[in-house]
Amino acid sequence: MATNPEILSQLFDILKPFTKEGQRLREETKLVAELGLDSLQVMQVLLKIEDHFDISIPLNNLPTIQTVQELVHEIETLVKV
Amino acid sequence: MPCMPETLIATPTTNSLPLKSGDFATLSDALNYAGGGETGCNFYSGRGKLSHVLSYSDLREQAQRLAKRLNSLKLPRGSRAALVADTTPDFLRFFFACQYAGLIPVPLPISIHLGGHQAYVSQLRRLLENCQASIAMAPDGFEPFLEEAASGLGMSLLGGPEVFASLEEAQEPLSPLASHELAYIQYTSGSTRWPRGVEVTQSAVMANLSGIIRNGLQVRSGDRCVSWLPFYHDMGLVGFVLGPMASQLSVDYLSTRDFAMRPRQWLALMTKSKATISFSPSFGYELCVRRLGEGSPEQFDLSHWRIAGAGAETIRADSLLRFASTLQASGFKKEAFLACYGMAECSLAISFAPLNQGLDVDLVDGDWLANEKQAVPVPLPTSDEDTIRCSSFVNCGVALPGYEIEIRDTNGFAVGERHSGTIFVRGASTMSGYFNAPAMTQEVLSSDGWLNTGDIGYWINNSLVIIGRSKDLIIIKGRNILPQDLEFMAEQQPEVRPGDSSAFSVSHPDGDELAVMVIQCRESNSEKREHLVNRLRSLVYSELSIPCHIELIPPRTLPRTSSGKLSRSRAKADFLKRVQWEALATLPNALR
Repeated sequence: MATNPEILSQLFDILKPFTKEGQRLREETKLVAELGLDSLQVMQVLLKIEDHFDISIPLNNLPTIQTVQELVHEIETLVKV
Repeated sequence: MPCMPETLIATPTTNSLPLKSGDFATLSDALNYAGGGETGCNFYSGRGKLSHVLSYSDLREQAQRLAKRLNSLKLPRGSRAALVADTTPDFLRFFFACQYAGLIPVPLPISIHLGGHQAYVSQLRRLLENCQASIAMAPDGFEPFLEEAASGLGMSLLGGPEVFASLEEAQEPLSPLASHELAYIQYTSGSTRWPRGVEVTQSAVMANLSGIIRNGLQVRSGDRCVSWLPFYHDMGLVGFVLGPMASQLSVDYLSTRDFAMRPRQWLALMTKSKATISFSPSFGYELCVRRLGEGSPEQFDLSHWRIAGAGAETIRADSLLRFASTLQASGFKKEAFLACYGMAECSLAISFAPLNQGLDVDLVDGDWLANEKQAVPVPLPTSDEDTIRCSSFVNCGVALPGYEIEIRDTNGFAVGERHSGTIFVRGASTMSGYFNAPAMTQEVLSSDGWLNTGDIGYWINNSLVIIGRSKDLIIIKGRNILPQDLEFMAEQQPEVRPGDSSAFSVSHPDGDELAVMVIQCRESNSEKREHLVNRLRSLVYSELSIPCHIELIPPRTLPRTSSGKLSRSRAKADFLKRVQWEALATLPNALR
C-alpha cells in the first residue's frame, strides 16, 4: 500500500516538535524506539492527529503501529471512514 | 445499549435510598442494596460526551442475568474469570456477574503502548497462566490480543462480551460469593515479568471500603465521584468502582487514555457534574497544569470539589500546590487535598490525612535523613547560601480503625518519632497472600499477620510520613517499574551476565525522573558496545515505553554490599558522582 503523501507531510509537521536537533523524519522512522516518545508524549501526538484529521484512533490499534508509515496508513483508513 | 445517545441522561446525585456506608458482608450484598436506588455509573467520551449510563439498578439486573449465563458453563466454584479491564460498562457487568456466579474476577490491564503488540500479548499470557483463568473476556477490539495470549492454554471460553451473551441462562438459583471467599484477584503494578496477584477476600475489601467511606472520606449524601483511573489498578477499582457502589454514589468515568490525551476533560467533567470527590497520583495534577495551555482556569468551576485525593505514588507537594494556585480562579480550594497511603496488598487504603486541611508538608534535613535515618525538621530555606539539603515529605495521616502500623529499623525493632524505617502494617484488609505464590507471600507476610510494605517512612505524633514507596522501585510518570525487570532485559543479552547490571532512577535537573541502567561490559569493540546499548534501549522502550539511559562500565566495578549483593543505591550514588547532566541533556531523547 502506497503511503499517502499528503497525510505523510501533515504527519511530519505534527511530529516535528518531538524530534531532536539534527534528527530527520523518514517513513521508516520508528515512533517509540527512534523518536524516544514516552507514553505521555505518544498521547500528545495522538491528540494532535485526532484533532487535525478529526478522527478517533481506536486504542486496540496502537500496539501494532510502530513506524511513521504505519501511522499514516492508520490515519488514511480512519479518514476514509 | 438500545438507548439513542441524545436521550442519555446521567444518573442523579441525589438518591431515594438512605446512605449506607459500606456496611455489607459482600460486594453482591452492597450491589443488591445500591440497586434499589437511582444512582449509578456514567461513561464519558474523550470529547466530553456522555456515551453510556449504567444505573446500579440496571447493573444489578444485568449482572445477575449474565451470572446465570456463566453458570451454564458449570465451572467449579471459585474459578477465575480474567477480564481485560477497559473503562466500559461491560467490565462492570462481568465483574459483578462473577460475584453472583461464585467466580473470581481478575482484572487485567489494557495496553496503550505504540508498537507494544508482542510485549502486551506476553504480559496477558503470563497473567492468564498465573491466575489459571478458566474464562476470559476482552472488550471490543481487544479479543485478538486475548486469543493470541490464551492460545494453547485450554480455557473453557474466551472472547468479547457477545460470546458470553449467547450462552443459555442456567436454571439453578444464584449462589453469590460469601464473606469468607475471595472477592477478586488484584495484580500489583510492580513487575510485568513476575506477576503478583493479591488475593482479596470479601471480608477484607468490605472492611476496607467501610473504613474508606466512613472514616477516610466521610461520605455524605450529595457526594458525587469522577474518575479516570484504570479499572485494573487498586485505586481505580476499589476507590472508584467499588467505593461509590458501596456508598450508593453516582460516579462519572473518563477513560485513562482520554485523560492522558485531554487532561482538561477531567476538570470539565468535574465542572459539569459538580463532583465532590476525585483522586489522582501526583502526575495527574501535574499533567493538568502543563496542558492547561490557552484554556483559562475560569472556564472551570471546581468549587464543589471537596476531596482531591492524592496517593498511589510518593506525593509531590510542589506539583499539587502548583495545581491549586493555577486553578484557584476556578474555585479550587487547596484544603481539598487529601493525602493517603495504601496498596493493593491491603485492598487499597491504610491511612488518611485529616479532611479539609490540605497537605501537611514536613521539611527535613535530607542528608541527615539519608545518613542517620533521622528526620530532623529544618526551616524553609531563605537564601541560596543555605547549605542544608532540604527534603520535603507529605504527612499521610493516621491509620484507619482496626489497622496497626509499625515502623521498624533494619534489626526489626520498632523505632520512635522521626526515625525512618520500613513500614509494617496489620489489619482487617491485609491480604491472605499472593495467588499461587507461597514463596513470594512468605517474603512479605508473617504468620502473625504483619505485612512488610517495603516502603520507608517515619512518625510525627501518630501520623505516618512516607519517604518513598520502596527503596528500589523506579517510578516514571506514575508507573511503577521494578529494577529487576530492567536488569532482566539486560541479562537476556549475550554480552551481559547475571549480576552485571544495576537499574535505578535519578532525578534529572529539569525535574523528570529518568531510568538509568549501569552495565558491566567486557566488550571492547566500540561498534559492538554501541550496538548493545541501542538494542537494549529499544527493548526497554518496546516493553515499558520509557526512555532509559544505559551506561557501560568496566567489569567488576559495580558496588556490592558486604554480603556480596549488588547495591543499587550505591550504584546510583556512583553514577551521580560521574554524570554530566549537560551532556545528558543535549543528547537526543532516544539516546538518554
